[in-house]
Amino acid sequence: MSLGRFLILLAVLAPGSFAQKPSFTVGWSVYVGWNPYYYMQKSGILKKWADKYGVAIKVQRFDYAPSLDAFVAKNIDACAMTNMEALDMPAAAGVDTSAIIVGDYSNGNDAVITRGGVTLGQIPGRQVLIVEKTVSQYLIERGMAMNGLDSQIKKIKYLNTSDADIASAFITNPGKQVVVTWKPMVSQIAKAKDVRIVFNSSQIPGEILDLLVVRTEVLKKPDGDKFAKAITGAWYEVMGQMTGPAADKTLTSIAEGSEDTLASYKEQLSTTHMFYTPQSAVEQTTAPDLKKTMDLVRKFCFSHGLLGEKTASADDVAIQFPDASVLGKPDRVRLRFNPAYMQMAAQGKL
Amino acid sequence: MSIQIQNAIVEYASRRILNGIDLEIDAGEFVSIVGETGCGKSTLLRLILAEEHPTEGRVLVRGRERKRPDRTCGYVPQRYSLFPDKTVLDNVTFGPEVTAGRFFGRRGFREEALRYLRHTGLSEADAKKYPHQLSGGMQQRVAIAQALIMKPPVLLMDEAFSALDPGTRRGMQRLMKDLWHESGTTVVFVTHNTREAVCLGTRVIALKKNERGSAVALDMDVPHLDFDSDEDELARLIADVESSCWQGTALAHLQPS
Amino acid sequence: MSLFRIDAQPARVPSWVLSWFLFAAGIIAYFYAAEQRHRENPDERVMPTVTQMVRAFQEAAAKPAEGAEAQEAPQTLIQRVRGSMLATDTIATARRFLISVALLFPAVLLGLHMAMFPYMGAFFLRFFQFFDKIVALSLLPILFIAFGIDELSKIMLIVIGVAPTVILDTVNLTKSVPREQIVKGFTLGAGDFAIAYRIVLKQIFPRVLNSIRLNLKAVMLFLFAGEMIASTDGLAYRIALLRRHMGMDTILPYVLWVALLLFAVDLGMSTLNKKLHPWFQE
Repeated sequence: MSLGRFLILLAVLAPGSFAQKPSFTVGWSVYVGWNPYYYMQKSGILKKWADKYGVAIKVQRFDYAPSLDAFVAKNIDACAMTNMEALDMPAAAGVDTSAIIVGDYSNGNDAVITRGGVTLGQIPGRQVLIVEKTVSQYLIERGMAMNGLDSQIKKIKYLNTSDADIASAFITNPGKQVVVTWKPMVSQIAKAKDVRIVFNSSQIPGEILDLLVVRTEVLKKPDGDKFAKAITGAWYEVMGQMTGPAADKTLTSIAEGSEDTLASYKEQLSTTHMFYTPQSAVEQTTAPDLKKTMDLVRKFCFSHGLLGEKTASADDVAIQFPDASVLGKPDRVRLRFNPAYMQMAAQGKL
Repeated sequence: MSIQIQNAIVEYASRRILNGIDLEIDAGEFVSIVGETGCGKSTLLRLILAEEHPTEGRVLVRGRERKRPDRTCGYVPQRYSLFPDKTVLDNVTFGPEVTAGRFFGRRGFREEALRYLRHTGLSEADAKKYPHQLSGGMQQRVAIAQALIMKPPVLLMDEAFSALDPGTRRGMQRLMKDLWHESGTTVVFVTHNTREAVCLGTRVIALKKNERGSAVALDMDVPHLDFDSDEDELARLIADVESSCWQGTALAHLQPS
Repeated sequence: MSLFRIDAQPARVPSWVLSWFLFAAGIIAYFYAAEQRHRENPDERVMPTVTQMVRAFQEAAAKPAEGAEAQEAPQTLIQRVRGSMLATDTIATARRFLISVALLFPAVLLGLHMAMFPYMGAFFLRFFQFFDKIVALSLLPILFIAFGIDELSKIMLIVIGVAPTVILDTVNLTKSVPREQIVKGFTLGAGDFAIAYRIVLKQIFPRVLNSIRLNLKAVMLFLFAGEMIASTDGLAYRIALLRRHMGMDTILPYVLWVALLLFAVDLGMSTLNKKLHPWFQE
């Protein structure tokens, strides 16, 4: 066929492919509570829900920090992150963010491990292997505070170690006696000799929440609203499958997303309090404890300069709760907990 | 007998470069080795130098076979003859310094070095320069001084003047002859320029290349010849030499000198 | 069109203008984009403005890092600058950098010996040719076991990453010394070591220095990798931390600061090279 005719054919067919549905991207990284996104896409559940609402949804895997960067830079529309990052990354950077799904809380996934019988009280003054300025630091400082060791927190010597290498760094260096990290690194480290967990996230239940956050401006658009419904619907369908009769098959499939085994994934699930049902998620989000948690988190972030240098006080990055109450200055709300979609799921309205 | 080469054969990967050379050179002779490019003259020189070893046969310098080059043979190559990182003076004092051990400073040999430099036509002002600041001819002069200050029994020169322009070349040739007369060193001078070979040396050895490698073609004494000798005699001699070693004698008369 | 003529001879002023053009274009494009982002979102942190970067840099140069051990309050300006975040980070990184570069010189000597002494060449060459192709970063767990996770392992990471290149480069440089020079050395009565050090090493040294200059970037790269993976201080460590809350207003000036330092070291080495080797013509 001649070039001319080919071009005409292309021109005729092309508009058809351009009449696309609005497309949204969800970023996720490997973590027990976020691996379901991989399964959602692979099993076709996501496409089913996306088609139902007339949108196109892509999920894309990142390393954790790059996923946060992409979200702040508005390259992706939604991202899986913890409540702490939701506050100090997009919110503090002025990107109004809404948490639309509360997936789980860390119930032992994050831990402070020591060797040689070192106790929590003996940590100040020793070097701690940790990814600084993340939930790990929040965890250990909460641990110290809960044990009356507030004043000692300043004396902790952190050795910032990347999460990819923290397990081997701790295991191969007997001279380093303290490490704070999360699973699966925690599981690897636990196999070493003479180590024990002195504090973990099950002692601060509900404080380290794993969320799906969306840029609020995206939600305000009609297509964005559809996207939120679709992803929420897909999420709870997957949650259902994870606890249903064919659970093991589903879990195996999910574990494959991070090249993990079923047994290992189940082990991680055992220290994660998943909100499998939308009702349980809504309860968590509307409970008063959430305000206490976020207050602790924002104080931590502010005291460590994570809210930005321009921020004069923790109130400048305000948080809005489902009951419309605001923690911080009402005109500076940046993070919102929006249970609307979870509620629709609970009521079967999706 | 200063240098003896006995049936030296040099072979590389089944290619013969030298095919059984027999040669004897007495102390004090000035021997020119001539031949067309690639006939193995430099290889022969390197055998005497002990930089290379014959595949078969022996090379004896002052009665001994040597494993590697040493002070016995001074050496002036065609290029890279000076150390670029040292001044002219340091180049010349290098040999004496390094052989005297570290307790003799540069000063010890400065006067002697300057003397040799003057002898080869250089001034004290040149002594402070670096080789790259000198012309080709001046560099070779320094190289000769550098070799002679060691008072070697044998001096080997490998196409030392081939890269110089005709005028400079003639000056160097005269210098060479004078220096030889004064020092009485045995000189082996390799060149592809027949006129140079014939006028400089008291003995001319032509190497002829054949299918099986080069062997000596002609070995004649010509002590009476010089640059100022009778032109016809020179021309005849050159023709003789060339016809014996060059492939294609017809070209012999067209050789530039 | 003289743009594509080999024999073109641009005049001085147009040439000067052209050489700054890309910088200007880049800076203008950046500020245009940053401006837009700030208009949309006053709390924008991904692309800071000049004022923000200047202020952040001033703070870094005046105030100590968060969590730094409390010293007695600094009195003089010198003390303040010395205790500032920028200074402590720079000194930590610079110390590692200089130690690693210093360790490259024994590598040069090894390369020299490998090329000059055939037995040493036979022994080492194949090994280093292979080792050169190993991406040092992937050996991290082994490095941790062997050297811990403190200063030594960071320096070893750099040395393992860069030394093989310097060694192989030196081998090539040594081999390129004309044969005639070595023979000359023998005929002048020099022994093996005199030839290696007084003739060959001295000739190749300016090229060796240039080779090390070219590898400075690789040294910095490995140093950064090491600091970002496990450290308590340093410029790259600071950048890694600042990333966690998008402190681009400090990160960008830090990056420029590192570039400036590298420039300075390179210039210093180049000047030193010229001073030490006035005879070197390249």
